[in-house]
Order: sequence, then structure tokens, then C-alpha cells
Amino acid sequence: MSVLAEVSGNVTAIGYGLAAIGPGIGVGIIFGQGVQAIARQPEAYGLIRQNMLLGFVLTEALALIGLVAPFLFSNL
Amino acid sequence: MWSIPSYLLAGMIVYGAIGWLLDRWLDTSAFFPIGTVLGLMLAGYLAYRKFSR
Amino acid sequence: MITLTAPAHGDEFSAPTPNELFDLPPLIPGVEWFTKPVLLAVLSAILVIGLTWAAFSKPKLVPRGMQNVVEYGYMFVRDQVARPFLGKDADRFMGLLVTLFFLVLVWNLAGVIPVVQFPVASHIAFPAVLALSIYVLKIWLGIKHQGLGGYFKNMMFPPGLPKAIYVLLSPIEFLSNMIIAPFTHAVRLFANMFAGHMLLAFFSMVGFWFLFEKLTPLGAPVGIVGVVMTIIFTGFEIFIQFLQAFLFAMLASMYIGGSLHAEH
Repeated sequence: MSVLAEVSGNVTAIGYGLAAIGPGIGVGIIFGQGVQAIARQPEAYGLIRQNMLLGFVLTEALALIGLVAPFLFSNL
Repeated sequence: MWSIPSYLLAGMIVYGAIGWLLDRWLDTSAFFPIGTVLGLMLAGYLAYRKFSR
Repeated sequence: MITLTAPAHGDEFSAPTPNELFDLPPLIPGVEWFTKPVLLAVLSAILVIGLTWAAFSKPKLVPRGMQNVVEYGYMFVRDQVARPFLGKDADRFMGLLVTLFFLVLVWNLAGVIPVVQFPVASHIAFPAVLALSIYVLKIWLGIKHQGLGGYFKNMMFPPGLPKAIYVLLSPIEFLSNMIIAPFTHAVRLFANMFAGHMLLAFFSMVGFWFLFEKLTPLGAPVGIVGVVMTIIFTGFEIFIQFLQAFLFAMLASMYIGGSLHAEH
């Protein structure tokens, strides 16, 4: 069987690149919607900011799990 | 707010290192992932409590 | 573009590698340390000193000419960078913050100025030195204003958390403030400039290769896409470079503000 395409070099770098797509989109959505919500209701700033931070922390955690996933899976 | 990623990284490194050392000493392989995720959770809790006020 | 697309790769197109983009030979043979980024760093320092000297050596009440432009930048740094984090201490640190902002901005903009085309901050040594000096200043100010014990106590035991959990959270707080924060401070600037320079080099290389080196009917559209992307990404890079200079100065003022007053 002939090889159509091949990947050389460190595959974990590609893995992290793929893993960073989702959190990137997520952080964009969180802050975009958060800014929109603050613009619509400036008086609810505290509540919106609190929930925005919670969402940001959870999403950023996913991106950082992607960063250590190669070490995790090489260990198991 | 700009230091949230550094908190998460720090939590992961501290508890991941503890888990890795435990793995080395006890000849297991489960503590490193557990420590990493635990550290992320703790750091996320700390960042949330600290910055949402 | 010529400096970016000089290397020849035989008959096949291959993307520029970090080594040939960032590992530059010394400008004067025999003087190992004197490379292009060093020359650019010195030139930008002279440029910033000259600009501010021309603007503020003989200040007038009604600004005109150069004073007008630089005063606008000063106002921007004062209102957007210094005051939100330092409050009434802002004026004490304006010298440092204006210097940081303008120096990093000129360093970054060197990446898109034709012929020069090298962002100085894409060698990690330059942002690392700036971040390290901010780090030393942060610790010194913290110990001076809050006392040795008070500084570390305020840093490692932030109020408003349940008592029992401090044992678990203090190491995170310590590592984050003492090691990770200055590290990300430097790496954020470095990585953005490095990646931006690689991106621009890649797209201009695509354009150069498919339109000038190997012009074929099939390759020409790819080359045109490369040229268009180079133009678009140059505009995007200017935006990123300004943003990173702003962010670098803002983080510096945030760290200084954090050690002047304990969090409450």
C-alpha cells in the first residue's frame, strides 16, 4: 500500500494545536457574549463578570489539560 | 484577570509535580493525572474566588 | 522582503525554518554578540530618547509639533495603563511605564518597517530582561511598602477564603506570583512576535517563490494568495504589535500596583 500522506516530527505538537481550537473558540464566545451582556445591562456588571470569569476559568482549564495530555497519555 | 492563566498553570505544576513524585516513589502511574486535574480544579477555584469579587 | 526570502531550497518550495529566520550572523565579522537585533535594540533606544527629548526638552503650555504627538502617547499611557492600576501613585511611575511602552512599541514595529523587518522581541533575551527588571522592582517595592513578612503573607494568604483550604492554595499562589507570572510576562511578548514574524515570512515566501522563482500557470494563483495574505497579515501584525506593547506596560503597572497596596 502506498503512503498518501505522512506526518513527520513531533505529533504531540499537532495534538496540542488541535486541542487549542476548541478552547480558543470558547474563550472568544465567552468574552464576546459577556461584553454584549454588559453593554445591554451595565447595572448587572458584577453578576455578568462573575459568571464570565467562571466560564473563562473552566475553558482555559481545558486548554491547559491539552498542554499536558501528551505527558499524561505517554504515562498511562 | 490577566493572571488567571498563570494561576491555572501554577496549580497544575504544583500538584502535577506532587503526583509525579508519588508515582516515582510508589511505582504507580495514576497520581500524575489525578494531581494535574486536582491542581487545575483548586487553581480554578482560587482564581474564581479571588477575581469574582 | 528580500531579507526574508533569500535562502534557496533547490527545486521544491519549503517553508522558512526558525533557524534561518532568527539565527542571524554577526554584522561585523569577529564580533559575535553584535547581531541585527542588538543593533535594532540600540537604535530603538536612541530613537525613543530622541523623540521624547525633542518633545519635552523645551515644553510649551500649548503643545505643537512633536510635543503634540508624544503628549498624546503619554496621555494614552497615563489614562489606560497607569491610572486604572496605580491610582494616585500613577505619576511616580509614569517615567518607567512610558519608557517601557514606547521602547516595546518601537521594538515590535521594527518587524513591519520595510528593510528593517525584524521584531527585536522575537529573541527571548530582550523581553526577559525587561520582565526580570520589573520582577525585581515588584519584589523590592512590595518588601518596602508592606514589610518582608507582610508582603509574603498578603501574597500567599489572600483574604476571603475558607480557613482550611489555605494549606492547599498557598503553594499555588506562591508559584504563580513568584515564578509563573514573570515568565508569562516575558513569554507572552516573545511568542507573539516570534509567531507573527514566522507567519509573515511564510506568506511572503509563498508569494516570492510562486511568482518570481518558479512562475507556472498552476502556481501563480497560489502566489497571488500569498501576496494578498502578506498584506492582510501585515496590517494584523501592526495591530498585534501595538496590543502587545500596551499589554506589556499594563502588566508591569499591574504588578507594581499589586505590591504597593495589599489586596483587600
